[in-house]
Amino acid sequence: MTLRDVDVAVIGSGPAGMAAAIKAKETGAENVVIMERAEQLGGLLHQCIHNGFGLLYFKEDLTGPEYAHRFVEKVMDSGVRPLLQTMVVGISPHRDVTAVSSQEGYITFRAKSIVLAMGCRERTRGALNIPGGRPAGIFTAGTAQRLVNVEGFVPGKKVVILGSGDVGMIMARRLTLEGAKVEAVVEILPYVGGLIRNEVQCLHDFNIPLLLEHTVSRIHGEKRVEAVTVARVDKDKNPIAGTGRQIECDTLLLSVGLIPENELSLMAGVELAPITGGPVVDEGRQTSVPGIFAGGNVVHVHDLVDNVSWESELAGQSAAEFIIGGKRAAGRRVNLKPGRNIRYIVPHTVSGEKEVSLYMRVNEPEEDVRLKVGSIMTKTVRAVKPGEMLKLELSQAQLSKLKEGTAEIVVDCEERGDR
Amino acid sequence: MSQLETEVFIIGGGVLGMAIARELSRYKVDTTLVEKEVDFGWGSTKANMCIVCQGGDTLEFRKEYHRSRLVWESIPLMEPLCRELDVPFKRVGELSVFFDNEGKAKFQKMKTRAESMGITTHQFIDGDTLRRMEPNINRGAIGALYDPTIAITDPVRLTVALAENARQNGVNLMTGTEVLAISRGAGAFEVQTSRGGIKSRFIVNAAGMFVDKVAAMVNADDFVVFPVRGYVAILDKKVGDLVNHEIHARPEALGEMNIITPTVYGNLIIGTPMKLARRNDFSTTREMAETTLRSVRRLVPDISERDIINSFAGFLMFRNWELGWHECVVGASRNVPRFVNVSIGYPGVSAAPATAKEVVKLLNQEGLKLEENPKFNPYRRAITHFSDLSDEEKRGLITGDARYGHVVCRCETVTEGEVVEAIGRGATTLDGIKFRTRAGMGRCQGGFCTPRIISILARELGIPEEEVTRKGDGSRLLLYKSKQLLETAV
Repeated sequence: MTLRDVDVAVIGSGPAGMAAAIKAKETGAENVVIMERAEQLGGLLHQCIHNGFGLLYFKEDLTGPEYAHRFVEKVMDSGVRPLLQTMVVGISPHRDVTAVSSQEGYITFRAKSIVLAMGCRERTRGALNIPGGRPAGIFTAGTAQRLVNVEGFVPGKKVVILGSGDVGMIMARRLTLEGAKVEAVVEILPYVGGLIRNEVQCLHDFNIPLLLEHTVSRIHGEKRVEAVTVARVDKDKNPIAGTGRQIECDTLLLSVGLIPENELSLMAGVELAPITGGPVVDEGRQTSVPGIFAGGNVVHVHDLVDNVSWESELAGQSAAEFIIGGKRAAGRRVNLKPGRNIRYIVPHTVSGEKEVSLYMRVNEPEEDVRLKVGSIMTKTVRAVKPGEMLKLELSQAQLSKLKEGTAEIVVDCEERGDR
Repeated sequence: MSQLETEVFIIGGGVLGMAIARELSRYKVDTTLVEKEVDFGWGSTKANMCIVCQGGDTLEFRKEYHRSRLVWESIPLMEPLCRELDVPFKRVGELSVFFDNEGKAKFQKMKTRAESMGITTHQFIDGDTLRRMEPNINRGAIGALYDPTIAITDPVRLTVALAENARQNGVNLMTGTEVLAISRGAGAFEVQTSRGGIKSRFIVNAAGMFVDKVAAMVNADDFVVFPVRGYVAILDKKVGDLVNHEIHARPEALGEMNIITPTVYGNLIIGTPMKLARRNDFSTTREMAETTLRSVRRLVPDISERDIINSFAGFLMFRNWELGWHECVVGASRNVPRFVNVSIGYPGVSAAPATAKEVVKLLNQEGLKLEENPKFNPYRRAITHFSDLSDEEKRGLITGDARYGHVVCRCETVTEGEVVEAIGRGATTLDGIKFRTRAGMGRCQGGFCTPRIISILARELGIPEEEVTRKGDGSRLLLYKSKQLLETAV
């Protein structure tokens, strides 16, 4: 068996993988490869034909394929080597990467550093255990998006969407534009799961009914979906008896959450955080395994691609520095701990030595709050929602306020008492 | 369609019907088997705990029961059968766990009963040994009855393998063919099916959940069945090592029925509270899911709802009281000559090998001449399963055919080459591919592979993508082409 030596192996060529690879190359790594299972670079961006990409990163309103194209051109110009139709099936803790490729066969790379950029996958119905039959016509929103936008098919003409994640709301609009009737978007929580801009632009603007605090309590049909029962839920999210009503439909889409895709990370021995489902990372996006870095939705599910690109650039830079500078001595590590109404914070640790962006989500929607990072920073925010990721920039000056020996900083989302 | 004539006509392409068809192919007998679904093993065969080689693992096993004898007689036959047919088989052993001495006493009764049948492999183990064998078992368990004989297999793959081997030995298999009516002619039955008439001297009724309905068509219904629905859930492979054996406890000990078992693929299966139900109702309920989880977590507390990747309903068929609640029907009809009814109820998969031999004997007693088929070949090779191969084999395979380097199912690492092989062996639907290759059975449940498999099926079968179904007529996956709904009022 021949091992192929590479400097940086990037797994996945979505926005995360491309940004990481380009940055690794720019930082000085020589032999950078991107392994992509599809026929082209870009990952899921190709099926995201709607706009709203790049508003922050490029200060332009781009579609998914356009956003991808900008990065594909950079990849091509940068000298990063794309390996297409190459599915990585294994990563070892000492950074051997095994892949299956129709052109190259069954191959193993020995990488000096790795960037995990596998993105995320959709939660499925099985995981949700919806009672009822097992008919055709149930798709995750992302699969439906691929079928409509890439393959050229419309799964059905009367559609109910369970869950109000961004892809679900975007598909509600997309299917309406394709001539299908979206009977309802059904959300178990009292607020939508995705961005407010999608609620407005995809649902309200198209008069698509949004049923909050409801769920699909039963699927009808054995061969093909014939209807679903939609019921109101109580505080514990259980359907309330007597509130069910049947909605005739031929298709049920599921947009009930995304899960970082970390099977390969686990094979490599990378520690995962229970809340995000992604690797525990430091501010340079290094995982618990030295030399293995991670960026984008594999770490935590983002709502804006711009942040994916930025975050992954950090991972790419660190992956290159890891090779060039050799293994650096472990510096100071300060844990970031979610406090009041904070669900999680990425990165999980900071060094305090350089400026850092904190990405976080809240547990519950709240208005007029103050985000407080220990005693080193506060910021007032008019409204926070679980569907909208928060980003806080900590400057070096603020970090220098950290006392020597600080092991942990608590980040809180506080009510503003001064109003 | 011109009238087909056959000597033995088997109704039902589940594991029992198919085992009988394959057993008959050892002889020069003209056999036709019909299945109403578009593929084999899609009834009760596909929805169970995948356990075989039960040797008296419950108190309903009694020496005097026909069913118990068929299950016991099948124990030594099962592993060689799986080996001949290249079907996964793993002897995992069973632990009947108890939490108090009362529970132990009940299992003592089971052990005694098994011993009276000559099964002497059962032994009691103490709490420490149990925890060594199953480190994740509930701390409250004080011991278990260990039966090393119990094994697991893949019942649908076994059925497909039996089908391929039966066909290769001359049996005529027809899918998508439903029996509508049967009448008794002179020395032969006239069977009306959804695909034309068939004339046959002998009939084997192995119609699974519909065995009584088929029997009633010709007044051979000297029995009644009661369908009892159970719940089965598949857990993610990432928790596959929580449990090493098939484990259960006495329902009385914990209030509810509970079974946890590994699968041959590294997942776990949990099941199954049972309730009488309409036999066509394969739906699951919230209550079934909750009860199952609650009861299996009393055995292994670490099992979580989050780890469920799929769930479905399965059926057991119980008989009427006069025959004995748990007794099976494997016998020539009392009213109708040359008509054999076959219904095990459960465990049908476990009992299949001996049942097949018994049915051939019954047919012989009813007048079927058995002359050995010199061309009978018991061996069948499975399709390639890429993920089971060594690195060296994987390399060789892709070099020979690039389609094996194209992974279409990421969770189970299934390649295009395997999907094409499955279609070559008779898969025509998404579910047909799933059961043969495991594409779509992983944790993403087809999210990734569905569009890819639809296009491979369309290409290989020479049909438009919109005609591809999940499981036959009425289950098309993509109803319209893009823009079609805008162009015409559909």
